[in-house]
Amino acid sequence: MVVNILVGLGVALFGFVLQTAMGGINRKIVARVQKRIGPKWYQEFIDIFKLFSKRSVSHGWIFDFGVIMALGGIIATAMFMPVTANIIAFEGYDNFFIFVYLLAVGMLGMAMSASGSGNPLASIGVMRALTTMLAYEVPFMIVVMTIIKLTGGTSSVSEIAAFQQIAGNNWFIIALPLGGIVAIISLMGMLGKKPFETYIAPAEIASGPMVEYGGKQLGMLFVMHEITVFIEVSLFIHLFLGGAATLGVYLLKYFLVYTALNLISSVYARFKIDQVVVFFYKWPLFMAVTQAIIAIYLGWVI
Amino acid sequence: MRQMKLFLGPQHPGMHGNASVHIYAEGDIIKRSYLLPGMLHRGFEKGMERHTWMNNIGLIPRVCVVEPDINEMAFAMGVEMLANIEVPERAHYLRMVILELARISIHLMSYGGLGGPTGLYTLMYHAHADRNRILNIFEKITGHRVYHMYIVPGGVRKDFPVGIENDIHEFLNDLESRYTEYRDLGIENPTVLARIKDNIMLPESVVWELGVTGVGMRSAVNKPYDLRKVKPYARYSEVEFDVPVYDYSDARNRVDIKLNELVQSIGIIRQCLEKMPTGPVRAKVGNGQSMRWTVPKGQVYSCVESSRGEFGYYIVSDGGTHPYRVGVRGASYPQGLLGIEKYMPGTRIDDAPLWIDTMGVCSPEIDR
Repeated sequence: MVVNILVGLGVALFGFVLQTAMGGINRKIVARVQKRIGPKWYQEFIDIFKLFSKRSVSHGWIFDFGVIMALGGIIATAMFMPVTANIIAFEGYDNFFIFVYLLAVGMLGMAMSASGSGNPLASIGVMRALTTMLAYEVPFMIVVMTIIKLTGGTSSVSEIAAFQQIAGNNWFIIALPLGGIVAIISLMGMLGKKPFETYIAPAEIASGPMVEYGGKQLGMLFVMHEITVFIEVSLFIHLFLGGAATLGVYLLKYFLVYTALNLISSVYARFKIDQVVVFFYKWPLFMAVTQAIIAIYLGWVI
Repeated sequence: MRQMKLFLGPQHPGMHGNASVHIYAEGDIIKRSYLLPGMLHRGFEKGMERHTWMNNIGLIPRVCVVEPDINEMAFAMGVEMLANIEVPERAHYLRMVILELARISIHLMSYGGLGGPTGLYTLMYHAHADRNRILNIFEKITGHRVYHMYIVPGGVRKDFPVGIENDIHEFLNDLESRYTEYRDLGIENPTVLARIKDNIMLPESVVWELGVTGVGMRSAVNKPYDLRKVKPYARYSEVEFDVPVYDYSDARNRVDIKLNELVQSIGIIRQCLEKMPTGPVRAKVGNGQSMRWTVPKGQVYSCVESSRGEFGYYIVSDGGTHPYRVGVRGASYPQGLLGIEKYMPGTRIDDAPLWIDTMGVCSPEIDR
């Protein structure tokens, strides 16, 4: 058990380092798209370490406790995440629904802390974040349910990844093309990429939930954000891109997915929050239901 | 529902310039709003009374930070009218080149500014990169990047440096070749359109009520009311250009007018460079040093077409070395001060920065 916990913590640490480096590399890439030079690839490490070295201002115990709860919740989630077919901390517990529930703990911690700051912009940001979550989760869950049905009822992320590796089976992004599109759109919503970046929206609500943070609390939120992105991108790789047999394949898939999302995000504007909800409940929901009907009732899977 | 008070500025990524909009919102809807000006108040109008006529050339560009040249032009025209000075022919064309380059620069900045409120930062960076090239040209011509102090009473400070025409042509050709790309990235982008089409309206009745001019007026009343056409100054009567208009003023059409005007400005600059005669570029205003000029007694209102509308200087001279009184009509005063208070309520808080951006509010000229 101790070994499992240590491996799990190792996965969380790996996720943090990987995503922080990937974030820095992507800042460089997007900067080139925007005719800028961009910061150094390790700038995000510098920012986070600098924040941890600064003094912090507290807005009450809910504000402080929420940050710890958010970071703790996300680290706990990351510990269950398989990296490759061989690197799994808690084999048999890498269940999709565990990720959904544990991710919510982190998000609620963040929401609690931001609301505890007393800044109305933070409250608006939290409200928008939760609304966006409600919007993208419905179509995404329908697609994942379809996958669970097709894989014979397993919700284990590593088993779903292994299912796609069996000869004759395609990756689910190909097998379920409509579902794949829905998953990509939902992933953009999860990561807060434009056009779904409503809850940060610097020009509207001055970075929303983040508005009152500084010092160590902000550093912890940065760490939490990096690990959250690692979890969400990894979920996509395992559920839709056939997982990864080796670490090299995993890193390649991770880089391609994350960079593609950033490039798409760099040429889109931000929707308003009502437009986000209407959008997700229109096309992605329609495509997800259509895909479920096609795959489950008609049995048409590529 | 409980009202929430929000502050849009002065320290806010969505605010244009040093001003603050106080917003009272219920949910996402703005119920009451007003502008709190004065953050940049440095007493320009009073300051002008304490400076000599020529000294003021160094002060007035600050009235509108992003588009300073219109101040120089309006002030110089006013002094020339009072002193009855004939500006050399070449200077008229040099002034038009500067003014139109400035117009392209501010329209690029404004169009790129659309990227701030909507989060499309790629558009903002591209527009600013191109604006930077214009600033490079300004630096070569005037020695300054932002506040040029180039247009002075009697003409311009000095002639164009050798070879600058090539730089200008090269820039204009490049900008023109990427015009479609600019449209695709911004105004034709479906996610941008979702934010600006049929949104942030400016009805014709509001235009007349508030006295909105420029893009706002032309987009609502379908009439080419542009001072360069209806009351030509410099040599705008000698060049051909169209004035884009609409009869439906949503944010999308106002931005579209700016982009169309950008194309017209490219054409005007090319015509100016082609038609520009040789000769002197500055006429003498008075005897002796420029710091000791006196301007004959009288009063005058001179106005030019800025990127946001009619920009005017009301100048009174008592015959001395300093202006007796100067009043500035900032083009964004009606929509910036009155419009925010009366017509921003009802919009969503998401749209407040876009409201300020597409209505063309320049807060320093409200403070002046």
